[in-house]
Amino acid sequence: MNAKLKETILNPIFKGNPITVLVLGICSALAVTVQLKGAFVMGLSVIIVTGLSSFVVSLMRNSIPNRVRIIVQLVVVSLMVIVVDQLLKAFSYSIEKQLSVYVGLIITNCIVMGRIEAFGLANKPIPSLLDGISNGAGYALILLIVAFFRELLGSGTLFGMRVIPESFYAAGYMNNGLVILPPMALILLGCIVWIQRSIQKDLQEK
Amino acid sequence: MNTNNNIYTIIYTTVVVILVAAILAFTSMALKPKQEANVKAEAISQMLTAAQFAEKSELEALGNDKILSKYVESIDKALIVNGKGEIVDSLDKAKSQIYTESDLKAQNYLIKKGNADALRLPVFIFNKEGSKVTVIPCYGAGLWGPIWGYLAFNEDLTTFAGAYFDHASETPGLGAKIKDDPAFRAEFVGKTTDLSEDRIFNIVKGGAKEGQTNAIDAITGATMTSKGLDVAINLWLQAYKPYLESGVETIRQKAQAAAALAQQADSLAVSDSTIVAE
Repeated sequence: MNAKLKETILNPIFKGNPITVLVLGICSALAVTVQLKGAFVMGLSVIIVTGLSSFVVSLMRNSIPNRVRIIVQLVVVSLMVIVVDQLLKAFSYSIEKQLSVYVGLIITNCIVMGRIEAFGLANKPIPSLLDGISNGAGYALILLIVAFFRELLGSGTLFGMRVIPESFYAAGYMNNGLVILPPMALILLGCIVWIQRSIQKDLQEK
Repeated sequence: MNTNNNIYTIIYTTVVVILVAAILAFTSMALKPKQEANVKAEAISQMLTAAQFAEKSELEALGNDKILSKYVESIDKALIVNGKGEIVDSLDKAKSQIYTESDLKAQNYLIKKGNADALRLPVFIFNKEGSKVTVIPCYGAGLWGPIWGYLAFNEDLTTFAGAYFDHASETPGLGAKIKDDPAFRAEFVGKTTDLSEDRIFNIVKGGAKEGQTNAIDAITGATMTSKGLDVAINLWLQAYKPYLESGVETIRQKAQAAAALAQQADSLAVSDSTIVAE
């Protein structure tokens, strides 16, 4: 694997993470991270949508009329999102219910359009596919980290399974209601950005 | 090729849109049966949970087919009544025909319009351990979106056997407790409705009064959702009132007849013993 391709795949996971560095897709990151299961499916959906729409747009890149390129991209992204939503409705109904409108809102997730504009339109299909997938994966990673803490502290469970023993509750331990609400997700996200910036000094502004 | 001239742009966008529309139409058609089965199984499992056949998560784990077969084997009658309490039709039990959320929404609109004749309200009567459990739905507005659910009554048609609620988008951890918190649902069990009052059932902010049997506590921090649920339950119980009242009346008459029969038997026994004594 050449260095450039490796860079394409690894960069979005950490150094150029779409959520913590580019600060895109915050809205859904706050909304669907109450439970790990939802965050996992959402992450997977975004990976599929970013990957496939970058791929398809990249295939079409030489033929798209420049003046209507945003609209054409939007049509492609919408297609992917609706297909994913329909598949979830058919094969994973309870999770689809839990994610509710947020699957549909992947259309407006800036990561998707951002990667198509910045990468898909200028690169060959395969690198575009990989770029889309790894950007989705970067998004999914942050979602899972946030959801891990929110589900653990908010409900005492992980992937729906109880991890904080009943004896803790009997001794007076209580789930933190604030963690379930979106503001706490933003605070957690802030902490992640803080940690990342203290590791990666070059991200800090002078 | 010049991709920027007008004719090219128009043709290009047209082709893209037609192509995308075709793909979407195909996906939708191919997945529709499966999606509808999911919606149906979900609604049925909510009813079965309300009637306390099993917990929701247990039913979900069974899968759609088993949920349907459980419904078919436990349902006794699936009726449609109008707003005057008259039975006008019935649902196909074997095909497990039910009302989905959108059907309930349509009925909710009719109830609000106050047209008793036009109402087509479903009543599900289940056989459960030798007795009958009657399940009726309710529908209303929560804080962020629609809420709906099922109320299950014991044989006397006034005592709650259980309840189950669902919502489109209530706040997780607060309003969503109507669905997620088993303790809230458990509050209904054993409570009664009071058909003689304007407010048939109450969800009381700050806690129900001691000894009040037709009330439960509202959810702390979810005032609007609790209020919405209170309104929904009362509105729908009001619509079902004629049906429930006639049901209660029938039960009372039956009990009376049985009591009279018992009395008769008693007096006969008494006369027998007097004859023996002579």
